[in-house]
Amino acid sequence: MAAAAAAVVFRIIPLACSGDRLAVAGGGVLRLAEGSSCSAFVPGRATGITIGDDGRVAPHPAGPDALAAAKIPRTAYIFAPAVETDADETTLVTVQIDVSVPPRTPPGDDIYISTERSNWSPSEIRMDRVDGRHFRYALQVHRGARIAFRVTRGSSATLERDTARALPPAHIAAGEPNARVTVVVAAWADID
Amino acid sequence: MRRCLTAALVGAVCAALPQAAYARATVLLQGGSVSFFADTLAVIARDGASLRLVDGTHAVADAVYVDLKSDRAVLAGHARVEHGAAAAEADAIAIDLDSNRVDLLHVGTGVSRTTRTLANPVPAEIDAQRFAFPDVDDRYAYIRARHAAITPRANARFSPATFPTSVGAVPVPSYLYTFATAAGFGVSTLPGATFDQPYGLVGTPTSLTAVHARWENNDPAFALQEQLASGDTAYATGAIDTPLRGTSTSGFNAYQRLGTRYTFLVDGNSAFGSREGDATLGAAFGPAGGRLTYHLQSGGYSSFDASLRSPDEVLIGGITLRLTADIGYDAQRGGDLYPYTVLPDGRSYATVWRHGLDAFLATPIVRAPLGTTIGFTLDADRTWYAFPRHGDTVTAAANASKKLSKSLAVFAGYQNAWTSQIYPDRQALFFPIPLAPLLTPDGTPYFGWYAYNGTAVARYMNLDLQYAPPTSSTSLRLSARHADDFFQFDGLGRPLWELRFDAQFRPFPNVGIALGRSYDFGWGGRRWVPGWSFAITP
Repeated sequence: MAAAAAAVVFRIIPLACSGDRLAVAGGGVLRLAEGSSCSAFVPGRATGITIGDDGRVAPHPAGPDALAAAKIPRTAYIFAPAVETDADETTLVTVQIDVSVPPRTPPGDDIYISTERSNWSPSEIRMDRVDGRHFRYALQVHRGARIAFRVTRGSSATLERDTARALPPAHIAAGEPNARVTVVVAAWADID
Repeated sequence: MRRCLTAALVGAVCAALPQAAYARATVLLQGGSVSFFADTLAVIARDGASLRLVDGTHAVADAVYVDLKSDRAVLAGHARVEHGAAAAEADAIAIDLDSNRVDLLHVGTGVSRTTRTLANPVPAEIDAQRFAFPDVDDRYAYIRARHAAITPRANARFSPATFPTSVGAVPVPSYLYTFATAAGFGVSTLPGATFDQPYGLVGTPTSLTAVHARWENNDPAFALQEQLASGDTAYATGAIDTPLRGTSTSGFNAYQRLGTRYTFLVDGNSAFGSREGDATLGAAFGPAGGRLTYHLQSGGYSSFDASLRSPDEVLIGGITLRLTADIGYDAQRGGDLYPYTVLPDGRSYATVWRHGLDAFLATPIVRAPLGTTIGFTLDADRTWYAFPRHGDTVTAAANASKKLSKSLAVFAGYQNAWTSQIYPDRQALFFPIPLAPLLTPDGTPYFGWYAYNGTAVARYMNLDLQYAPPTSSTSLRLSARHADDFFQFDGLGRPLWELRFDAQFRPFPNVGIALGRSYDFGWGGRRWVPGWSFAITP
């Protein structure tokens, strides 16, 4: 009982299970422990496993303390993936977006982030003011997310422009821990 | 008649779209449930999933994951793929959507690699990235459906679509989600609305036809919009708002980047019987630049401007200076150009040239006593006219901020804009003493109007308290704003006092709410005038 309580639980996404073999997201193949059945694993549905001393795995409920699949010892694999990966996309991570605006920005204007998630609504997310020319926003996204965004003053007529007064490509906020995106707005569409 | 012509024009644009009406998805995904996650661009089909590609490849598995970011699919559990007469079975299969590669994973023997022809698989090492399958909770899906028709790098159509995490969203038979990032998809010519929910009808990597469900002026409305985009270098957008009403408005907007230096922009709109349009050629020469703008509107008025701007020169103390010079004209077909209509020979004024100079100074944001930061700007502009006349504008602004804690900050701003129109020796002719006082919206006479002789001032002060934890999407803001202008009186001009509260938070991972409540005080004969704003974002 005490040994079971101390067992390390890993959160995995099963890809397939056949006989005593279990393939997990990332492509690695593990061996099931005696008495364990494939019926405990549904392809594509997250679940937990423990690894016995013999390197074989058994199903186990995955609590919040479960370790990511990337932490599974490579010695436990029959076929180990060539590159370790952590496909846990249930966790939320914060992407810090810092925006500095040009001095000609009207001082009372709010600054917004427009993303593809809202069909590019120009006033989707109002940024927090840091001072007269700096704004920030803590964008919470799922790990692995890739959010394209643009900076506006609240309408599509006030989109950001680059130094040549041309439309810049969208910025990318990548859902990685401690990610930070810094945007320097050179000009606005409606202010030369 | 005009509405019919506009509708015909937009219809013609729609018909001329490259591939728009015939856009064909290249990936068809279906299953007992199909879940879409907007931020990770992941589509997952479960409970008997099947994947069909445009080249005839067909695959089935217990679950299928399509990664729209990298155009690949992973089939998990009892996977089988067929291409023509060839077929292969595996425990998991990874398929590239934008190339020919197929990886077959057998738990007993490892991975073998082949192509979509499924001929001659060869052993290969396991590439973890190709077999990554996201750990997601279907309860937080943005869209849930049974079918998804995917056009890579453009859009996905889900049917029938429900929105489990969007409060108040109604199920629809079909929903088109566009994830193309071309700049043209972010440009709209629709006027502002209290609420605007687009619904995509037809989409391709370069176009989107959408109907917009809107709430305008306390009435429901709908609008049609067509967007064409070519990466970030060109776009064209056209829209009709409330096409079935007498208050219908329409507009278009097109942009083209011409090499590294030039941009061309043309736009136009029609509203309440008035039409206007602009064409602008912009140029950049390093940090300097210029533009040519021609403006035309119904009634025969037109104007032209040619301007040059200097680079932002950094002066002593980090102060930046920019100078802008412009020359142009105002014209009225047939004469009687405003405001020269008051002249006895006003009819002879059809075109009046002008030139102007603008100087803009900005200090950097500097530290000030009591832990504050402060920045100043000063903008002065004079325009000289061929007629004895000049106009001046001077705008000064100061903005200060103080951080009270990691999450709490206070902001204060002051702006003073002074404008003046001077007609030497003819000031009284252009600004005569009115015969009667101006009436405000509630009928109260405004005797201060008698003092207007061409000079006006707008003063604006704001004090904001902001609560925004650094690692949270929650922010609260309380604002007090005061406008002290001339002219401004009892509902005429800006409200004297405004108190406003804004909240922005995410109650669930996939739902954002922005809520605003405002009060205008003592304005227009009312003690206060409340206002609401509300928005839900994915």
